[in-house]
Amino acid sequence: MDAESQKRFREFVEGRSAALLRTAVLLTGGDRHAAEDLLQNALVKAAGRWSRIEDPEAYVRQVLYRQQIGRWRLKWPRREVAVAEPPERPGADTAGGADLRMVMRAALARLTPRQRTVLVLRYFEDLPEADVAGILGCTVGTVRSTTHRSLARLRALAPELADLGPAAAEAAPSRDIPPVEVRP
Amino acid sequence: MNVDRLVRETLQEQAAEQPGPPGDLAGRVLAARRRRRTRAVTGAALATAALVAAAVAVPALDSSDPGRRDVRPAGRPDVVAHPDQAVPRDFVAAGRVGMAGYAAFRDMRQRNGDEVLVRSYWLLNPRTQKYEKADDRWAWVAVAPGMRTAAVLEGELPARRIGLLDLASGEVTRWITPAHPAAAVEWSPDGKRLVATTYSKNPDRLVKVPGTSPAPQQHFSRTGWVVVDAASGDVGPFRELPQTPGEKDGGYAGVARQDLHWSHDGSRLYVQQYEGPRGRNYRDWYTMAGDRTAAPEGERHAGWPRAGLSPDGKLLAADGTTEGSPILDPRTGKQIARVPSSEQLAWADSNRLIALSCGPGPCTGKNEQRTRLVLVTVGSDRTVPLTALRERPKGYKGVWSPMLTTR
Repeated sequence: MDAESQKRFREFVEGRSAALLRTAVLLTGGDRHAAEDLLQNALVKAAGRWSRIEDPEAYVRQVLYRQQIGRWRLKWPRREVAVAEPPERPGADTAGGADLRMVMRAALARLTPRQRTVLVLRYFEDLPEADVAGILGCTVGTVRSTTHRSLARLRALAPELADLGPAAAEAAPSRDIPPVEVRP
Repeated sequence: MNVDRLVRETLQEQAAEQPGPPGDLAGRVLAARRRRRTRAVTGAALATAALVAAAVAVPALDSSDPGRRDVRPAGRPDVVAHPDQAVPRDFVAAGRVGMAGYAAFRDMRQRNGDEVLVRSYWLLNPRTQKYEKADDRWAWVAVAPGMRTAAVLEGELPARRIGLLDLASGEVTRWITPAHPAAAVEWSPDGKRLVATTYSKNPDRLVKVPGTSPAPQQHFSRTGWVVVDAASGDVGPFRELPQTPGEKDGGYAGVARQDLHWSHDGSRLYVQQYEGPRGRNYRDWYTMAGDRTAAPEGERHAGWPRAGLSPDGKLLAADGTTEGSPILDPRTGKQIARVPSSEQLAWADSNRLIALSCGPGPCTGKNEQRTRLVLVTVGSDRTVPLTALRERPKGYKGVWSPMLTTR
């Protein structure tokens, strides 16, 4: 990488790394160290192809998502993130939004990386299903089924969420679900 | 509320709580990339931006003197391996070289926004032959050939004085105070002198600069070096050597440390440089008077590996990858053999190297982040594991780095 490319790379990292790290933390279920690893690996890859990348942010994000799913593939037997303590169950009179979000956060940390990645893309990045499918290299049907199963898994992990209304993705599961691609 | 809305709000809240990225992330990334290309030992974690001194010192042997060829005392095992230990507990050695200790580091975020890389050391207790955590006072430790004495720097670097620590008693037997503070010391191959690289600020501190980016920045404060005579404590003349513009470009591992190292024969000093004009690692050489000079014969083709020239001067360990590493003819730079390891640390004898290698099994490119200490033999595919795949000591960010020296 020549001096000018290095300068542009540094500017990109300085400007965008905070946002990229936020996404990485969500992908890793709140594990900050793992998120820093994930982001650094993605940036190293980007640095290696810097002169050929047209949209660095899109490239790094794609690497982040796909790396995360790659980890899931490699670590299938230990796909659930261990949590030190079970999520606290809010009492009936304290079940406000903040408590529910804490419950949800703990439940998200216990999803598989792939399930979490799909939810981050759909609900944090606000991407349509077709875009998520393109990023992850799978079909729209797989995105739909994974979303559906991920939300169902969240409910199973946190009974406190039972009173919540169904999401659109839950209400209308796709018929073109492939045979169990993501096991809960 | 719908479950998808709660997911959305939870993710947004969690994202908003995150503090900024670690300091000089771009520098760390560029450094990690250089290491991947050259050593193929990745710094996948930000943590593995290890810059711990592998105090490798291999005394030059006179191969014409048959009495000095076999450096193994009778009764001493040639290889002492603990392939079950991911964090070493018991002494590890092969041939003439032993692991005098190891180091690991932490990134300490300061209240003012600075970040300081702090090392901890574990040193061999000569009585028990086990590694024990060294005093936290020591910010830098370099064990001398023979493994009886270590040079230590205390407190936050750069340190005003250099201590000579007796490893058996744990006592500092002498303090030496150069005129300029030092942030690194390295023993000469014969164990008689020390080169101290001097800095005006801590090169391992990333500094928050008001009015600039939120991440703390590296800074460049090397002032030069001095050579110290260990027996007398005499400090030689100060040689000024601030960092060059080229050295400031990136800065290895995201911090601004660029120390002086000894040549194979102890007659010159060098600063390791990365990715020169042809994309190769190279060394800038200096005479003991501080003048730029050519590489010594035999080290012209030296790259990253600290093992460098073999004790008999006939082989040179060169930059490798996870696929293996070339062994060069030091006179021509031509490859004459390959060894199945990724980073060569020290010559156990004229034909065997202590190195880092992934495995067990062939390196696949996926596990290059995890390596173990091995013994490899030039001309053989056989790898003898000396430790298990390295893991980080509890509470530390990176895996341990071996400190090797002659035993």
